[in-house]
Amino acid sequence: MQPDPEDASPAATSGPAGATLPDEEALLRVRGLQKIYPADAGPVEAIRDLTFDLGRGELTCLVGPSGSGKTTLLKCIAGLMSTSDGDVALGGKTITGPPKNMAVVFQEYGRSLFPWLRVGANVELPLKNAGTPRARRKELVDEALEAVGLEHVHKSYPWQLSGGMQQRVAIARAIAYQPEVLLMDEPFAAVDAQTRADLEDLIRSVWKKLGVTILFVTHDIDESVYLGQRVIMLSSSPTVIQDDIAIDLPAERTQLETRSDPRFTELRHHVYEQIQQAKQGFRPRGA
Amino acid sequence: MSIARRLLSTALALFALPVLLLAVWWGYTLGGSSFFVPEPVQLADTFVNTWITGERLTEDVLPSLQRLVLGLFLAIVLGVLLGLLVGLNKTARSLTEPVFEFFRALPPPVLIPVLMLTIGVGTEMQVAVIVSGCLWPVLLNTIEGVRGVDPVQSETSRAYGITGFSRIRHQLLPGAAPPIMAGVRQTLSIGLILMVISEMFATSSGLGFTIVQFQRSFAIPEMWSGIVVLGMIGVALSFIFQFVERRVLRWYHGLKEVENAA
Repeated sequence: MQPDPEDASPAATSGPAGATLPDEEALLRVRGLQKIYPADAGPVEAIRDLTFDLGRGELTCLVGPSGSGKTTLLKCIAGLMSTSDGDVALGGKTITGPPKNMAVVFQEYGRSLFPWLRVGANVELPLKNAGTPRARRKELVDEALEAVGLEHVHKSYPWQLSGGMQQRVAIARAIAYQPEVLLMDEPFAAVDAQTRADLEDLIRSVWKKLGVTILFVTHDIDESVYLGQRVIMLSSSPTVIQDDIAIDLPAERTQLETRSDPRFTELRHHVYEQIQQAKQGFRPRGA
Repeated sequence: MSIARRLLSTALALFALPVLLLAVWWGYTLGGSSFFVPEPVQLADTFVNTWITGERLTEDVLPSLQRLVLGLFLAIVLGVLLGLLVGLNKTARSLTEPVFEFFRALPPPVLIPVLMLTIGVGTEMQVAVIVSGCLWPVLLNTIEGVRGVDPVQSETSRAYGITGFSRIRHQLLPGAAPPIMAGVRQTLSIGLILMVISEMFATSSGLGFTIVQFQRSFAIPEMWSGIVVLGMIGVALSFIFQFVERRVLRWYHGLKEVENAA
């Protein structure tokens, strides 16, 4: 691509690539990822070209307008969907199927938890399947449920709990699995605003406690800025990276203080603008 | 006090209608007895003499029950296994479904002469008749159940490495259990009918055989008492089914209750 001296905005000069890291720091690498769906009316290009790295222990949020292929991208990273071109590597190994050291939290918590298993058994199942010894399993399940503040509901069925609590169970299941990377696909899109704020803080605290690498997909701009150390913005489909910014807010965040921080407003403003542009079809140069 | 009252009301709900029906029957037979309709007391007497004190319990009822239980067991196991195989595979599904619907539509009694010729006369033939009729509801419901399993649940299984046999055991079978159980329920009554019909051809023992014998020798009260035995087996099957179903599908009924309340 030709350098363009007239265009000085960082978003435009960064082109369609997100931030990449040196080999030793990157845990997850996405390189030139493209996804084309076959359809009756001809192939549909959902994702055109995505390149970025996730550093070990990083909490990254991924935002984009609806229909920007966020879920598709997440499924490609999770090994649940094959890519059309490019590749995704976790710890240097190309992902071809769901890796052992990765856990996913889905948006539809009610359908992702098994309704025939009690809460404890739901959290335990992936461990049981992986052959973890019984005593260790119990330890992990207890710790995970305690981490999400649900140590008292072991014996309940998921459908006896509120939506927010069900999503906590799904998060507990993910962290009990002891993943290196935790993928979350709009996990709080279906819960009410107050529960949502609590769950956001829960994610921050779990992340700090466990040091796990998190990729958090959301369509909520405020949420992405509040949660992330970094926000990757996607263009509308066929998707490329619109922008990739570091969130330089203090590590200790609270719903009240952080959200009224002038820097929060600035960052939010920036992300909002990018998403608006993406919606209007503006694309970074070269994409 | 309240427990006693609850027991009383349960008993009332259970027995009120049967008692009423018995009373109507008794009243009907008071006026002068018809040859074809025995009085209740006479029937009870015949029932005890024919089925309890005689040898028919071990020589006719038990063999029939064994064939029924074996046939049902085979049909359910076969239906679920085949249903899993077919339900998991799109190509297999589209290839087999029309054929299955055809076989399901065949009334199994018409197969009896054919099965008699190919398998021979005896227990194997009778069990084969029961299986050939009972297989379809379980099989088709299992296919439907496996096909209708929630894709989010399947994706969850994959993401957590729950695949193969483990997935069948932990996700597919429990997830498909509600339609499978509905299929089993249908199959129980079909099994009872086929048990009787299969014994009407070329046999010398069994409930169906005995009832037909009574009919042909104009032993009308005995015939009726045999029908009562059939009814009792049907009720017993239904109770056993409900007991199992309540356990297996407890989560499902609870979930539905929550969904309906919302």
